[in-house]
Amino acid sequence: MSTNSLIDLFSSFDYKKEQKRWNRFCNILNEPEPKVGQTPRKVVWQKNKTTLWHYPPEEKKHEVPVLLVYSLFNKSFIFDLAPGTSIIEALVKAGYDVYLLDWGIPGYEDKGITFDDYIVDYLQKGVRRVLRHSHADEISIIGYCIGGTIASMYTAIADEAVKNLIVAAVPIDFSVSAVPVEWIEGLRNGIFSMDRLIDVYGLIPSNYVGGLFQAVSSPINNSPYITLLNRAHDDKFVEKWQRMNKWTNEHVPVTGEAFRQFINDLLKDNKLIKGEMTVRGEKVDLAKIKSNLLVISSKKDHLVPKEQSLPLLDRGSSEDKTSKFVDAGHVSLTLTSQFATLIDSWLSERSRSLQTTK
Amino acid sequence: MSDQRTFDPYDTFKKLSIQWEQRMNDMIHLCTNNNDFIKYAKMSSDSNAGYVEWLRKNQEMLANQLNVPTKNDLANVAKLSIQTQEKLDSLEEQIWNLSDSAARTNKEIVSVVEVLHEVVKMTQQLKTQHEETKEELAELKRLLAEKQTTTKNTRKPVTGGTK
Repeated sequence: MSTNSLIDLFSSFDYKKEQKRWNRFCNILNEPEPKVGQTPRKVVWQKNKTTLWHYPPEEKKHEVPVLLVYSLFNKSFIFDLAPGTSIIEALVKAGYDVYLLDWGIPGYEDKGITFDDYIVDYLQKGVRRVLRHSHADEISIIGYCIGGTIASMYTAIADEAVKNLIVAAVPIDFSVSAVPVEWIEGLRNGIFSMDRLIDVYGLIPSNYVGGLFQAVSSPINNSPYITLLNRAHDDKFVEKWQRMNKWTNEHVPVTGEAFRQFINDLLKDNKLIKGEMTVRGEKVDLAKIKSNLLVISSKKDHLVPKEQSLPLLDRGSSEDKTSKFVDAGHVSLTLTSQFATLIDSWLSERSRSLQTTK
Repeated sequence: MSDQRTFDPYDTFKKLSIQWEQRMNDMIHLCTNNNDFIKYAKMSSDSNAGYVEWLRKNQEMLANQLNVPTKNDLANVAKLSIQTQEKLDSLEEQIWNLSDSAARTNKEIVSVVEVLHEVVKMTQQLKTQHEETKEELAELKRLLAEKQTTTKNTRKPVTGGTK
């Protein structure tokens, strides 16, 4: 650094800006929680901890309703973070009848709930409720992360008419994984097993879930705080950062049996892509997916690389298949409006526009 | 316009931190990506599970002695409520089916009634036509009778006309 740049640095020193920066940075944890889930909604159906929400559009432009299914590890607000960037808000404004299957927060009594139960007792019943509530005969499903895996499994065995299936950051083929190779090998060789821990805990605590994801993606995770320090004087950025921080830190406990299936059937044995997965005795054959299919992958996703998602396109026997790549990460994919824009541009042509049918 | 950017120490700090973080994470993954670590993780997980299991058993035993409900008891009660919810849901679905079939039957009845309306209409039309035909027939009969009378009258010989 030259003497000139040092002189520049001191001459451009803004005392007020620095005071604001450090003040916000030091007090960020004491600040009130950012408001999430602000799009107006109504309850359609409730079962156990699960709620089916309806977000009615101001002007309905599409006949086919949209059902959002998110990961079992997150909270439902990830689809409705803030006005202006909310996926739900954008879809509602685009004229879709939007529904959200909110898994809720499982309790100890739910420890026995499996993927099969989630698919048949919650998702399938939810789909039936959506069809009845919207007076539609077909549905579009948007699945994110493990929610996409569940949505794909459901679509493969569905009795209901799923017109469009959109999956984002979806893990389907676990032969490719962000998890270090030896960890997976340890699981496959039986050196390591989560079974005893699952038996004892019943419900996997949310901090374990968060810790697991952190261990896989980045065990040391200081960069969000460094980024915050860099722009803590910018109110808009701090608000956005708070939401992203809430997203990444707020996990929910996972039911033991669903977690066991995730570890043993998906991660260890890779049953879904091999066609060995079953739901209540019925074989899940991804080739039975005939719906129009859109697979969205993020270029910077370190948790679910695109190689995990793309095999769905090969396995599904849909005539209309599309894959899209977004310049985002696993979390940031849902933080911007580009996700909703992408969905709308693909979905609008496939949702029977009410203007043209009239 | 100058291309020179003002030096921002926070930017430099951020770049360095991200690089350090990436290298540290790579190093952690490298160091843990082996069999020994997996065995160690298995050992830790088992000892954690064992400790929690021991704690749970003691907790259950103590709760039993103190005659207070345990987490399992509460879970069982909660499960009953979930079962009730499921039953209500299935009842609601059965009501849907019933109302759907009632709606279908209603539609069928409406269509049968429509057909009946048509039949009644046709019968009325036939009746009207029948009445008209009857009237026409009566008129014809009357005309025929009139004609016959006129024919009889005209056949009578005119007396004294040939003189």
